[in-house]
Amino acid sequence: MSDVLLAAEVSAADKPTPILFTGDNGEFRRLVTRGALLELVTAGFYRFWLATHMRRYLWSSTVIGGDALEYVGTARELLFGFFFALVILAPVYIAYLVVGLEAERAKAFASLPLGLFFAAFGQFAIYRARRYRLNRSSWRGLRFGMSGSGLGYMLRALGWGALIAVTLGLALPWAEAALERYKMRNTYYGALEGDFVGRGGDFFKRAGWIWFTALILLLSPYVIGAVFRGPIWILAGVIYVFGAPSLFAAFKAEQWRWWLRGLRLGGVRLETNLTMTALLGNYFVFLGVTIGVLIAAAIVFGIVVAMNRNAMVGTTPPIGVLIPIGLAYVATFLSIGVALRIFLMQRVWKLVASSVVVHGLAEAEDVATRASVAPSAIGEGFADSLDVVGF
Amino acid sequence: MSAEPQPGALNDDAVIFFDGWSSRKRRVELRFGAMLEIVQNGATLASWPYDDIRRIEAPGFALRRETAAAGELARLELHDPRLHNEIIARCGFLGGRVRPGANRALLYWSLAATASVVGLVWFGIPFAADRIAPLVPPAFERRLGEAAEAQLRAIFSAEPCHAENGAGALAQLSARLQSRAALEQPARIEILRSSVPNALALPGGKIYVFSGLLTRAETPDEVAGVVAHEIGHLRHRDAMRKLIATGGTSYLIGLLFGDVTGAGALVFASKALIGAAYSREAEAQADAFAAELMARLGRPAKPLGDLLTRVAGKENGAFGLLHDHPLTADRLAALAAADKSERGPPLLDDENWAALKTICEKVDVKPEAAR
Repeated sequence: MSDVLLAAEVSAADKPTPILFTGDNGEFRRLVTRGALLELVTAGFYRFWLATHMRRYLWSSTVIGGDALEYVGTARELLFGFFFALVILAPVYIAYLVVGLEAERAKAFASLPLGLFFAAFGQFAIYRARRYRLNRSSWRGLRFGMSGSGLGYMLRALGWGALIAVTLGLALPWAEAALERYKMRNTYYGALEGDFVGRGGDFFKRAGWIWFTALILLLSPYVIGAVFRGPIWILAGVIYVFGAPSLFAAFKAEQWRWWLRGLRLGGVRLETNLTMTALLGNYFVFLGVTIGVLIAAAIVFGIVVAMNRNAMVGTTPPIGVLIPIGLAYVATFLSIGVALRIFLMQRVWKLVASSVVVHGLAEAEDVATRASVAPSAIGEGFADSLDVVGF
Repeated sequence: MSAEPQPGALNDDAVIFFDGWSSRKRRVELRFGAMLEIVQNGATLASWPYDDIRRIEAPGFALRRETAAAGELARLELHDPRLHNEIIARCGFLGGRVRPGANRALLYWSLAATASVVGLVWFGIPFAADRIAPLVPPAFERRLGEAAEAQLRAIFSAEPCHAENGAGALAQLSARLQSRAALEQPARIEILRSSVPNALALPGGKIYVFSGLLTRAETPDEVAGVVAHEIGHLRHRDAMRKLIATGGTSYLIGLLFGDVTGAGALVFASKALIGAAYSREAEAQADAFAAELMARLGRPAKPLGDLLTRVAGKENGAFGLLHDHPLTADRLAALAAADKSERGPPLLDDENWAALKTICEKVDVKPEAAR
């Protein structure tokens, strides 16, 4: 931490404190690139270490009032959490396979309850994952925490999910408000109790137009196709390519703003000047990188096939073709994975974190730890780390 | 011990201490005695043994104490480089008391895990598939085959050919071949209208010969060889074995690798290679079966190889066929070696052979269609 940051520290009670993001882009890029290669040679088991390193980077780069967040979780915990989840999921996968095969003809009906089970389990995992991460986050030597029940959250999320489905997504703002209230009212930082004051109606007022625009966007090709004929379809494609990320960025920006402004921790609250254009720029860079990688892969594929045109007898390509194509395939996946982690994780975090100012931070100056909380949370339960299962 | 750093030369924020019990930020001084003493306004807040002090993996220079006695999250932040050296000189285990080989052990275990997974995909699952496939009840296998059939017809948008004369010839050929094949369940053979020169066997006893292959065949023995080859696949339950092997691999991948972004890629890639190797073996077995069946009927095995050679020669591009029929010199040699030459009557007479060749011709059946 540099002296500049300490100088930025503000002790005046009502003066808002900006959150600073001090992380180096190159450092994160190296971290995830190296991590992707290690994941490859360790059959994926490095991902627990990679996740921990990434969180440590993100947390320690986020400086609030002169002091950075600290991530105190370990990769070993994630690994045990994964084993725990495996015990639950292995038989479920088998059951899925058997039921899916048995009811081959009525597959749509057979997979419905199974899909529901996964959706419910996913909600449970989301809650427990957040609890785990909060519990492993500390600031100024004091950890955050979360109580409440993952099962209770799961039931609420299922109910709201049904309502969202029935209303074709219109109930989403109220669902998010209710679920976030449940999460935040169980959140604490020492003696500071969390709350969420964002209201579904406000979110709807700000983001409702996105729902309608998305609907129009979704229907536009059909309308265009019904009215006109011919290459007008290209226009529809263009509308999609630019319209979909723009709408997504607009939605995420509204969602972030509404969420951040609704958060409360005692008297501490957040204000943000996050813009849609900042997010959109980031998404377009990601889109560009992904398309570039895919084009490069297609070129490699084409060259390999063209070079071995004469060697291909029969139906199975020779090993000399399979190996370079396999390598190109692996490289494509790794590059897109790295880009995903950089642009959809680190850059978004950076944009959001540096857009935030904290009000009432003085209240967090001298918070005592909770008597009820054991300082060591290692025995929290391995299920806490269900977040790595891939939901 | 050594002299304390000159306090006057240091910034007010040179040393910050969080005790781990509250979020209060304390500006403290350090005394380097028998232990590291953390002092505020003359009162000692904490004493940390030098050997218990660890450096935190984060930007800046922050320390923690190994035991939870100090409050697990107690932190000491040093913002003056001169103090860093004092600490480094005194604390021998800033990086933790890790055994030197610990990271290497982790690497070895990871590599062993990789080898074990790849080994399982390569040997374990095919082995298990070979054992499980014979245990699958035929009724279930047939249902699987029906599901695959619908998909297959959708993919090739092809329909079976039913021209009357040809159907009779096909039935005759089928009966002759199956009379010596000793199949548990009878095979049902159909010609699919498709320009792709291919043939395949589905679980449950269905064999499809694509009309593209039929048009390129010059003698009945060539078509019979192909059908015999597919009967071989049915006999060995190759489709079922492949299904179990693929399903098992997918299960393993889905279970172990939460993210497809990095880890799964390795297994997917090796699976493609293994799939090819595995099917090569199955092809060789089916060839051997076909040669034996043809020999039992007193017919030569070599025409099968001739047909494959002819098809392969005209094949443009590597991915014209969906089914794996890698044509190798080994395969041709094996077929030639197994050839017992012509000893019996032809499987189809000239008239029936001509009828079979036209089984897919719609133009000729127009008058019948009007009926």
